Amino acid sequence: MTLVVGVDIGNSTTEACAAEIGEDGLITYLAGALARTTGVKGTTENVAGVVEVVRDALAAAGRAPADLDTILINEATPVISGLAMETITETIITESTMIGHNPDTPGGAGLGVGTTVSLGELPGRAPGSPVICVVGAGVDYERAAGDINAATARGVPVTGAIVHGDDANLIANRLRRPIPVVDEVTLVEKVPLGMPAAVEVAEPGRTIRTLSNSYGIATVFQLDPEQTRMIAPVARALVGNRSAVVVRTPTGDITDRRIPAGSLTLIGETARRVVKVDAGAEEIMATLRGVRPLADAAGEPGTHVGGMFARVRDTMSELTAMPVGEVRIKDVLAVDTFVPQRVTGGLAGEFALENAVALAAMVRTSRGPMERLAARLRAELGVRVLIGGVEADMAVLGALTTPGVGRPVAILDLGGGSTDAAVTTARGQVESVHLAGAGDLVTSLIDSELGLENPGLAEEIKKFPLAKAESFFHIRMEDGTARFFDEPLPPDAFARVLVLTDTGMHPIPTRHTMEKIRQVRRAAKERVFVVNALRALEQVAPRGNVRQIGFVVVLGGSALDFEIPDMIAQAVAEFGIVSGTGNIRGTEGPRNAVATGLVAHYTAARTAEEPAHALG
Amino acid sequence: MADTTTRVLTLLEKGPAEQGRRTDEVVIGVSPAFGDFFSRTIVDLPHAEVLRELLAGVEEQGVHARVVRVRGSSDLAVIAHTAAKLSGSGIAIGVLSRGTTMIHQKDLVRLSNLELFPQAPLMDLETFRKVGRNAARYAKGESPQPVPSRNDYMARPRWQAKAALLHIKETEFVRAGAAPVELEVLIRMADAG
Repeated sequence: MTLVVGVDIGNSTTEACAAEIGEDGLITYLAGALARTTGVKGTTENVAGVVEVVRDALAAAGRAPADLDTILINEATPVISGLAMETITETIITESTMIGHNPDTPGGAGLGVGTTVSLGELPGRAPGSPVICVVGAGVDYERAAGDINAATARGVPVTGAIVHGDDANLIANRLRRPIPVVDEVTLVEKVPLGMPAAVEVAEPGRTIRTLSNSYGIATVFQLDPEQTRMIAPVARALVGNRSAVVVRTPTGDITDRRIPAGSLTLIGETARRVVKVDAGAEEIMATLRGVRPLADAAGEPGTHVGGMFARVRDTMSELTAMPVGEVRIKDVLAVDTFVPQRVTGGLAGEFALENAVALAAMVRTSRGPMERLAARLRAELGVRVLIGGVEADMAVLGALTTPGVGRPVAILDLGGGSTDAAVTTARGQVESVHLAGAGDLVTSLIDSELGLENPGLAEEIKKFPLAKAESFFHIRMEDGTARFFDEPLPPDAFARVLVLTDTGMHPIPTRHTMEKIRQVRRAAKERVFVVNALRALEQVAPRGNVRQIGFVVVLGGSALDFEIPDMIAQAVAEFGIVSGTGNIRGTEGPRNAVATGLVAHYTAARTAEEPAHALG
Repeated sequence: MADTTTRVLTLLEKGPAEQGRRTDEVVIGVSPAFGDFFSRTIVDLPHAEVLRELLAGVEEQGVHARVVRVRGSSDLAVIAHTAAKLSGSGIAIGVLSRGTTMIHQKDLVRLSNLELFPQAPLMDLETFRKVGRNAARYAKGESPQPVPSRNDYMARPRWQAKAALLHIKETEFVRAGAAPVELEVLIRMADAG
């Protein structure tokens, strides 16, 4: 009987599998253990984590450290990934043509058209033509309402109002004749006066109909076809708002400008192509497919993308003591996303969802400093340490211990920085691929699309389901079911959308609805994990034909996610593949595949050798 | 707010405060001597303006406001919680004569709260408006961002003696066991000419 421990050093966790190998090559798996990886994967800093996890595994197996014969560590592929995000559009309003924010509580309802006049000039205004009243900062609502009522009584028809403070309802409630009032216009002093303007407010729960329609604006301002063409972007920008103001200025406009975001050079083994980042993710990925397999990539210096590539190269060169010039970018994943950005020239702090491209890049070297790590471990624990097998091969061997899995099998290892896939054919050859983009990219998409600026919270939103605290004693879950509590919820949870983490409920301090957050979360996972799963399987499948793979086993930290495995299962269902989360040795779930594979590999190698020894 | 014509507050007692039935209401609970013996907060903000801003904040959100006087205690948590239990939405604002304010909910334990503004000297009219607005938004089942709570380490040493005196005075107006009463609020211009 030989006692061995297989150890897998991952990017975030170090896993161990203790087993006894009989003389006949029969493996008895004893226990598994898990600890945080200390330092960056593949460096000597990992020793502390490995020592801890080996002790834990032996303790769990009830064996003394002195009985340990061999530690097996994997040939870790140092895979390092980087992320960058580049906003590629911006919205610019010139001459304060429109106000398109969504105040919580605009006042009144309907459409008002007239010339813009400040509240102070209202008393001096001659009766007759309709006006839109502009109420500046610091004016009390009672005074504003009083002055508007007085003007209306004098025969100056005030048909709408634009207000600085949060006073729309307070003013509208005090008017004798109801008019639409748009409030919280922070830069109200910049509204051009003496210009024709229209104010529209919709009933609660509805959106504006006239100012979001190009012909509606044309009707209001009596525009000719050429002018209507000019105003069309304004109408488009106002779609979905509950209130809006459009001012007709001589050359006012709203434009949607593309920001030059630099270019990306993709160098394949036979071709080299340059693609502009602002062309969007689809174009970048199409170009990448055209040059595959990727030999290297470079970003234009001075852009975010260029900076990101430089950062990834530097980290990798530090780790492996390789010159920066020799580090090669092996994969790139581009994802279309959007970022809430303040509109340039907006009067009320309008935000527009601008298009952005998120990029993940991945670097890989053939061999990390594993020898040094092994030597240190040998010194630390005083046992034989063997570096055995390529990580992907080991993962496949481990995955095969999942009940119900047979060859040809593919594994999908969904990690934090990269998505790895490997496939083994019936003859036992293993093909593997490492792709950029995984959990970290999902977290950063959630963070930016929800405008959280809190990666920790974004990580929680990624990992755990949501609920809304509807009272102190019940929450409404994502799927609509209610859950009741005997003890009241903490006060900071009241009325908020919560993430139900394993350490308790955490309120999400934004105004997004639960549906919105859920949709952003799921879309981010689809765009990264489902896209990468298909991309990976396509690359490892025999002759690129995914149908040739019989079984797909999902492994890695992200396989523990509550929805990702289902999304992947659904995506590959059309290929007639059995797909599911791994259950290593029938007990470990998607964890411990590589550690288990190491033990299996070592045993197989030993039994293959032994007859030879016997003969010799 | 900017035009500071003095406004005068008159609070008329209309009888015992009743349990509200409408879910779109916020109850504002004032302390025994608010707008009565006292007419200004610790930093001389007129109670007329304080109440006007609280009411405006609630009204702007399209929510109904009701004002009651809690006569049985000068403890802010008791005042706010008593008002919350009378509120149809379960949401109430409690306010002391010196300006200390709290948003409470009926299902919370008394000593808890939704939002607390413990430093009366830092309460300005803008904050009172925001407190009214947030209370109304809780009543509507929305998730408002808590009103930014200001903190001044010098407030305690500087104002504690005055706050203590004001509290003692307010407590003299407590009538033990007296039920809360409904108030009619009249806010007029002082020089109504």
